[in-house]
Amino acid sequence: MKVTLNWLKEFVDFSLSATQVADALTMAGLEVEEVYTLERNFSRVVVGKIVKSQKHPDADHLSLCQVDVGGNILPIVCGAPNAYEGLKAPLALDGSVLLNDLKVETRKIRGFESQGMLCSEAELGLSERSEQLMELAADAEVGKELGQYLGEPDSVFDINVTPNRPDCLSVIGIAREIAAMTGSSLKKPELNIAAIPDAIEKYMTVDIQAEERCFRYSGRYLRDITIKPAPFWMALRLHAVGIRSINNVVDVTNYVMMEVGQPLHAFDYRLLEGKKVIVRTAEAGERFTTLDGQEHELDQDSLLICDGVKPVALAGVMGGLNSEVQPDTNTIFLESAYFEPTNIRRTAKRLDLSTESSRRFERGIDPNGTIYAMNRAASLIVDLAGGHVVGDAIDNYPQKVTPVEIDLSVHQSNVWLGVSLKKEQIAEILSSIELSVEQKNGDTLRAIVPTFRPDLTRPIDLVEEIARLYGYDNVEPNVAPRINQLQEANPRVLFRDSVRQTVSGMGFRETCNLSLIHKKFGHEFLPQKAGFVELLNPLSEDLSVFRPNMIISLLTSVAYNRNRQMHDMRLFEIGNVAWKEDGQSVKTEKTQIAGILAGHRQGNAWYGKAKEFDFYDIKGVVEGLLAKIGIEKFEQESAHDVFWDAESSKVIVDGKSCGAFGKITDDVLTLFKIKTNDLFAFYFDFDKLFENRRKEKIYNPVPRFPSVPFDLALLIDVNVSAGSLEKEIWKSGGENLVDVHLFDYYKGEQVEAGKKSVAFSLTFSSKERTLSDDEIENVIDQILAHLSGQFGAQLRDR
Amino acid sequence: MAENLETIISVIAETEKAFFYRLSNAATRDDLEEIRIEYLSRKGKVQSLFSLIGKVDGADRPKIGAELNRVKKAVQDAIDEKQKSFQRTGKAIEFFDPTLPGRTVSVGSLHPLMQVMDEVKQIFVGMGFRIEEGDEIETDYHNFEALNIPKHHPSRDMQDTFYLSDEYVLRTHTSPVQIHTMEDQKPPIRMIAPGRCFRKDTPDATHSPTFHQVEGLCVDRGVSFADLKGVVLAFAQKLFGKDVKVRFRPSFFPFTEPSAEYDFSCIFCKGQGCRVCKDTGWLEISGAGMVDPAVFGFVDYNADVYSGYAFGMGIERIAMLKYQVNDIRIFYENDLRFLKQF
Repeated sequence: MKVTLNWLKEFVDFSLSATQVADALTMAGLEVEEVYTLERNFSRVVVGKIVKSQKHPDADHLSLCQVDVGGNILPIVCGAPNAYEGLKAPLALDGSVLLNDLKVETRKIRGFESQGMLCSEAELGLSERSEQLMELAADAEVGKELGQYLGEPDSVFDINVTPNRPDCLSVIGIAREIAAMTGSSLKKPELNIAAIPDAIEKYMTVDIQAEERCFRYSGRYLRDITIKPAPFWMALRLHAVGIRSINNVVDVTNYVMMEVGQPLHAFDYRLLEGKKVIVRTAEAGERFTTLDGQEHELDQDSLLICDGVKPVALAGVMGGLNSEVQPDTNTIFLESAYFEPTNIRRTAKRLDLSTESSRRFERGIDPNGTIYAMNRAASLIVDLAGGHVVGDAIDNYPQKVTPVEIDLSVHQSNVWLGVSLKKEQIAEILSSIELSVEQKNGDTLRAIVPTFRPDLTRPIDLVEEIARLYGYDNVEPNVAPRINQLQEANPRVLFRDSVRQTVSGMGFRETCNLSLIHKKFGHEFLPQKAGFVELLNPLSEDLSVFRPNMIISLLTSVAYNRNRQMHDMRLFEIGNVAWKEDGQSVKTEKTQIAGILAGHRQGNAWYGKAKEFDFYDIKGVVEGLLAKIGIEKFEQESAHDVFWDAESSKVIVDGKSCGAFGKITDDVLTLFKIKTNDLFAFYFDFDKLFENRRKEKIYNPVPRFPSVPFDLALLIDVNVSAGSLEKEIWKSGGENLVDVHLFDYYKGEQVEAGKKSVAFSLTFSSKERTLSDDEIENVIDQILAHLSGQFGAQLRDR
Repeated sequence: MAENLETIISVIAETEKAFFYRLSNAATRDDLEEIRIEYLSRKGKVQSLFSLIGKVDGADRPKIGAELNRVKKAVQDAIDEKQKSFQRTGKAIEFFDPTLPGRTVSVGSLHPLMQVMDEVKQIFVGMGFRIEEGDEIETDYHNFEALNIPKHHPSRDMQDTFYLSDEYVLRTHTSPVQIHTMEDQKPPIRMIAPGRCFRKDTPDATHSPTFHQVEGLCVDRGVSFADLKGVVLAFAQKLFGKDVKVRFRPSFFPFTEPSAEYDFSCIFCKGQGCRVCKDTGWLEISGAGMVDPAVFGFVDYNADVYSGYAFGMGIERIAMLKYQVNDIRIFYENDLRFLKQF
């Protein structure tokens, strides 16, 4: 919402500078985003008077003028249609510079010398009107610098009006705030309409058929008016607040809307049929063309203003092309109505047609302000377009909206704010914004809220007004601690943070990626039969679905860095992923942790050649992470999905899959345009790790008796896995077996074809005694017998 | 006929000097053994010096004797010392270069946004707030309606929302966590909700469709606007130092009343006015306010008994200030050269 300083000064007296006003408004909740002085984009422009004007002999559209600039008469060639004798207009002298660095020089135009240029408002940057010469007042002093003639340039405030303050979408609303802040009062001019007495019913009747959507419909009939450009002062102000000047009548409706906040509409009366206005909802599929030329298909929710035959306006949003004011319009019907806010908003949203009018109606204008606004407009139209108001105002107001009364406890207000204001202070504050305050008994105040403040309905709403106008700065911060019950720490958050510390301690860098991705990256990562969680209104295809797996994010980061010549990295991230289960509309959202190894474990160094990551690097990370959180053992199973079948593994804890790790397939890498196939990743369902974490740490006494190591080298078929061997060793190792560690793994010339050698270091220990050599021998025999039976394992050396 | 005293002293000194020079070049145990034999054996260089005693005047003999004993001991000690150093390393000392690079240990790091988040969490945990979490995909009810933002209300325009359906949205703030917490727990409540949020903002230097917030909520009997100002002030000073000031400006949020935007005095110019604060002396941080009684209505709290405050903050905003990052998108690029700096 833009307002100008001079416009505000018409409604309130104050001596603050523009900057001071901006600061004060901001601290009262009307955030001034920008305050600036209207620029003067011209120099060496003076008031000129056309003393003689005749047609150019060879060019119909050009006039040869003699222009008085105070002492001198200059010959000027001019193309404007209104370059008539006697007109005072701005003249840019030889050597002047106008908007967009346009330089004016003496030159010949179609054979005649022109010693300057008569200017339109647009050429001077004063408004966007370019068709005509700017018309200066008849008493303007000829030869005076235009800048001096115009006076001090006005200042503009660009205010971010919050949705709860529809009253401040108007000059008067903001002036009222300034009045409250400065302790002065609002000046609202009295309006006297001199109407020609006549029965208005002869010309127009209004029938509201949708009372729940249109609370009030007021109107006036004016005739004998003349459509012409609005005066400069009005065009200048509209331009300053960002509204295009059209003609005197349309400009008045916009000007009054900006001034008092009531949207108005002027119909060309000649185009309304049947001398009536009907307010009704649209029929489903009904078509209507608004005055911007757009045709809309409506539904039964939309509200239409119709004449006796056809719709003529989309209520509260925009008038119709079929009834707008024309250059030859001489009779108008002026509408000033109150439409139900949410209905206007639904229509504007659905049609994607947000206008200055709809913005005000959907926030809630003053239902009791239609008459004032309409009369203000009518009197301005008579001033600027001539003609007469005929008959009484039409005012169809079936259900009167009355002011809200709110009882406020002074004590409660003080408790909420943490201040100790007196009843009188509160009463004074509320009165300053035009609430009527009655002091009731004891602690209570009753405030009667004018209908231009629909946001004030409850005591707390008044408290906000009190705080705002008392000044947030004046509320002393209370830094004394408020001791509540002791809050137990959230274990999931603690766990999450400790996992992040653990993984970063393993040399991984934490990334932070967007959660939204392009579909093409996600397909491979969706669980079987699952679908994407898809946005209805994405910014772009690239950010249109929720990521179904955190590895996607890490691959995005790897690709980004690979494109910038960074090859080796270890990255991880914890974040949320989501998908839709087969045939279900409800989403599944999970937290995942994923890590990725890319490139080399170590670059070329003086102590060794560069070494690429392999499967056992990612497995080591997984084992380390799980051990750290107390998951010592897990089962493995081939994982497929985004990993190579062979070099992959699910992580199964207590029979349930928690995640997987492995080597990323070439298909997936190709998607991300990653050219090397040296990427290994893991991902876990974070909450499964959380459930399976070691929750309590309880001391387990360290053995007091010496432990006995024993190395066991086995010869075995190549395709017996080390994991299954280890499992069987545990099974047959008895209660004193405390550790099994695989320390050698060999395939090759030293062993016979089809076999391999696997060596384990076993540790035995008892809590009660020192184990004897015989006991150990017996257990080893037992293990060997078992392994021999299970896998045909042979002892290689003992 | 008796040799000059000075000459003999200088012969002794040269022998000593020569020994230390040899010793310094001894790289192996064999070298050392060779030197030991050369100097300390029965016919070694040190021993043979003792024959010089006879060549000086009787009066000077004790002097030369003492000097020779000193040298003999020095040589013996030096050889012993060297011997020990060989024992420590267990092998012959070659040239050892301690300036070679150490074996690389991969160093990880936490993301700068998460570091800021961690710091903010710690501050509030220290002030007795519990951390609560929630889903990023939320119902329209929890993200909007229960926060007093009805459908078809202009305040919905304050946030551009990603919709999944009529019912589900990507949460536009972490405030729905407050609703869930109040649905599950009775007052007193003192919580913060850190997390990821989404708004349909086209990415530019100050906007990202994904961003992070920490929101706080305190509900109890007699909680006041002054308490809110206090907690925000305490937070500001713990985060940016004791001399930071806080300014509250009236604003509007559907779920708080009174509502405020709060600013910190500029941490770069100490409120004097600079480029970062656009010469205002203030840095806009975020919004706060007293919980609107309408919100209590949605979670069945008695608004006549309880009052509360809520506040929010954008983690990216704080991280940009703290690390002097001028483009929010850098956080989401994950360029290693960026991550390594934190």
